[in-house]
Amino acid sequence: MSKSSLDKPTRHAADHPQQLDTQPRHVQEDQASNKSILQALTSAALVLPGLLAAQAHAADASSGSVNFQYSRYQESKRDLYSVRSDLKPIMVDTLHGSGTFFLTDRMKLSFGYTQDTWSGATPLSSVPFASTAGNSAFTRVLPTGEVVSGASPLATGTVTLDRNLNPLRFDTAGKQLVDPRTVLVLSSASPETRSQGDFRLGYEWDEATLNLGGGLSVENDYESAYGNANGRFDFNQKQTSLKWGAGYTSSRTSAILDHDTLGYVTTLAYADQIKSRDNLRILQGDRRDWTSSLGLTQILSKNTLVDFNLGYTHSRGFMENPYKAVTVIFVDPQTVSPDPGDSIRGNLRAVLEQRPDVRNQLAIGGKLVQYINPLDAALHVAYKFSLDDWGVNSSTFESDWVQPLGNGWTITPRIRYYSQSSADFYHPYIVSDQAFTRIVVDEQGEPQVVTYDPKKLPKHITSDHRLAGYGALSGGVAVNKKLTSGIALEAGFEYYTRASALKLGGSGNSGFADFDYYVANAALRIDMDTINFSQRNPQPRSSKHQHHDHLDHGGGHHIPAGVMFGHMLDKPGDVMVGYRFMYSWQAGDMLHGARKASDIDIVNLACGDSQLCKFSPADMTMRMHMLDIMYAPTRWLNLMLMPQFMDMEMNLRELEGRPPPVPGDHEHKGVPHSTGGVGDTILMSLIKLIDLPGQRLHMGLGFSAPTGETDLKLRRMAKNEGGLFHFDMQLGSGTWDFLPNLTYAGTTHRWHWGAQLYGAKRMESKNESGYRLGDIFQASTWGGIHLTDWLSASVRGVYTHRGRIHGDFNTYNARVGPMDFPVNQGGQYWDIGFGLSAAVPTGKFAGNHFAFEWLQPIRDDVNGFQLERKGALSATWHYSF
Amino acid sequence: MKKCSSVFTSLFLLGVITILSGCSSVAPWERGVLAKPQMALDPHPLQSGVRMHNYGSREGGAGTNAEGGGGGCGCY
Repeated sequence: MSKSSLDKPTRHAADHPQQLDTQPRHVQEDQASNKSILQALTSAALVLPGLLAAQAHAADASSGSVNFQYSRYQESKRDLYSVRSDLKPIMVDTLHGSGTFFLTDRMKLSFGYTQDTWSGATPLSSVPFASTAGNSAFTRVLPTGEVVSGASPLATGTVTLDRNLNPLRFDTAGKQLVDPRTVLVLSSASPETRSQGDFRLGYEWDEATLNLGGGLSVENDYESAYGNANGRFDFNQKQTSLKWGAGYTSSRTSAILDHDTLGYVTTLAYADQIKSRDNLRILQGDRRDWTSSLGLTQILSKNTLVDFNLGYTHSRGFMENPYKAVTVIFVDPQTVSPDPGDSIRGNLRAVLEQRPDVRNQLAIGGKLVQYINPLDAALHVAYKFSLDDWGVNSSTFESDWVQPLGNGWTITPRIRYYSQSSADFYHPYIVSDQAFTRIVVDEQGEPQVVTYDPKKLPKHITSDHRLAGYGALSGGVAVNKKLTSGIALEAGFEYYTRASALKLGGSGNSGFADFDYYVANAALRIDMDTINFSQRNPQPRSSKHQHHDHLDHGGGHHIPAGVMFGHMLDKPGDVMVGYRFMYSWQAGDMLHGARKASDIDIVNLACGDSQLCKFSPADMTMRMHMLDIMYAPTRWLNLMLMPQFMDMEMNLRELEGRPPPVPGDHEHKGVPHSTGGVGDTILMSLIKLIDLPGQRLHMGLGFSAPTGETDLKLRRMAKNEGGLFHFDMQLGSGTWDFLPNLTYAGTTHRWHWGAQLYGAKRMESKNESGYRLGDIFQASTWGGIHLTDWLSASVRGVYTHRGRIHGDFNTYNARVGPMDFPVNQGGQYWDIGFGLSAAVPTGKFAGNHFAFEWLQPIRDDVNGFQLERKGALSATWHYSF
Repeated sequence: MKKCSSVFTSLFLLGVITILSGCSSVAPWERGVLAKPQMALDPHPLQSGVRMHNYGSREGGAGTNAEGGGGGCGCY
């Protein structure tokens, strides 16, 4: 293993110039004095490819590395003038994980996974503020007695116009005033989750590289598959590099047209593309994008380099945003009075936006990187210009100052200015000289309703403010800390303000759409090459790992994947970084106790004494991603930090025999309910109690911090509150929880076995939403066999007792089914788990451990009425050093 | 559009030629500074990924890094 690390060519370092100063691979410990010279020479010879590899491709951050990143995007509230919106602004939580592994000395494979969940209010259209459409303020009393006030979107209405078609407002004295203001019509959305997976295979020659990649992005209403190729040629003694790239993306929109707005939005132009399925109307469209890029990087001097890039994109197909409408003010010529002093009455209607089916975009950019010698800093200055055949021209100025501070710290302040011109077909709203509908008497003398002539409207039209003219100014800072062990931490913050008035060369006239946002991100990067190197000195790595695998860990790496807190690190200073994925699936029958429940029983019994159930869950899936960071300050104590990221999805079905819907009630059905975001964060300490050869007992004392939200709400439809999501769909417990556990593990050359007791005790009487989850007790025991020196299999029996929920929602929840009642929570569960675990003992991937376990339910005995469980998967990766 | 493209391509090539002809040779052993992490073309690739995604879903202008794909609908 140490051999292969030594054999690894220095070329890899070039891929990651950040690491060059810590990667003098050919330097032996006793040559420490020569280290910096060798390092400088190695760096120098390799610099150019390294510089070029750092393209904005997060999955390829470095060689032999694993990265995790979390980011939060949060928008400000939109200005609706006199109306105060109670809708939460857009928020996006994003989790990203990626890994790069060298398959051979010249070939590397990268994987990336990104998941984001967004929710919040988005603009549907924009209307004259003086019209009766817009956002209507309301106050209403919920069934719980709570009073809510807010704004409800109104996409249709009427407006009075003057003879120049300016909207008119009447002041308190009844006098007509021109009111040129436009306002956004905001509608809310329930959370939605998108997942994206991608890969990249790269090959390096001495003076060229080639990368082939592809990926898939999936969300409820949009799927996108893509492939790309790019490469680089170095010449002129590697002072000059030519880069090229090409890509193809195929995307499909399948937008479920909103029940809530469907009645108010005219979809005439898309009649052929709208399909009906399960009472839903789905707008479908395909889109294809071809991209190409050409670039050049040139070393100008020992302190300066420049980079030029040219990008061209050709797009074809459905490029509309299916949730955006345009307000058309229909003025019926027959109602316009001949008196020029009279005002005109307009009928406001919303029609789905229409964009051209073809778009060609060209962008050209340049960047200068200048070393500032006295401060050891680097100044990055970039400019980009883009233009397209929709009329959107943009300019971007950007500047970063990268300032190393010593001790592995770097701080980077940055500033960016962006300006774009409006698309040719962007209008906040338009006026059409025809009636929306009129009555015509046909040849038989029958009156017929005739709708407007779409041909009289512009062929292409949008009110999406992203295609308006505006400017944006943003500034931020990034802080990096490189730890000596090959781990780097990164945190960043950026504040962005969009303002119509900031547009280059004058106002963009879209000030009503101005907003601000901030983005905060935190990342962890693990560079295995650096770790491998630092571990070769002072002691050979291989012996250390053997030690880990078989004795010190008490078979720790063979513990089934579903067991948490199951093994300990042994040497003071040891670090382990891991990732845990858990998936659980519920589907099938509804259970009452341990038996199948009939629909009629659910309707009558599962929703309390005073109410009948309408829906029951049809299936539910939960996915959890957990980062697992472990550190051993002493031989007997380990500290763990485990942040979690979750997403859930639940489909409902209507119960047979349910009470009929209340007229005017908007029920959330047909569309899956989904939530996602940051879950609770676990802080754990593990204490070694008994440590005999081949056997170990340790105790865990820890806490779960309530970082997951418990007040997620379904969107409001019309004026009907969606209310809080079901208990199981909230992201955390909402309380500080105590998590004690005790683990015994043993191993011989051939067998391994163990047992664990685990508990969760809620330490607060209720969370912010008024309830607390039941306590948990779990006992499990397992046995396994080492199939080879690197692979083992295990079988595990698990018993879980989970208490019912105490308290109840303290705010409105729709109470549509069993999942909304505290008595239908908790129970006793028996499972059997089948697991495989693999530890890479030698070679360049030594130190990596993978484990999988499928947990198959044997028996459920639930409190009240609950959906049957189908199984759960745990998969873990960890790397210790 | 086509006319514009050719104008820009010519400008781009002109710029490139000017720079290439103007630059002095930097020997491999003189590139120590250029290898420093702060001199990388993108010193924060992970964060750049997030920023580009946000700009891409909030702005109408095109990017030069056209090799990508993915990123989703951004339909909000």
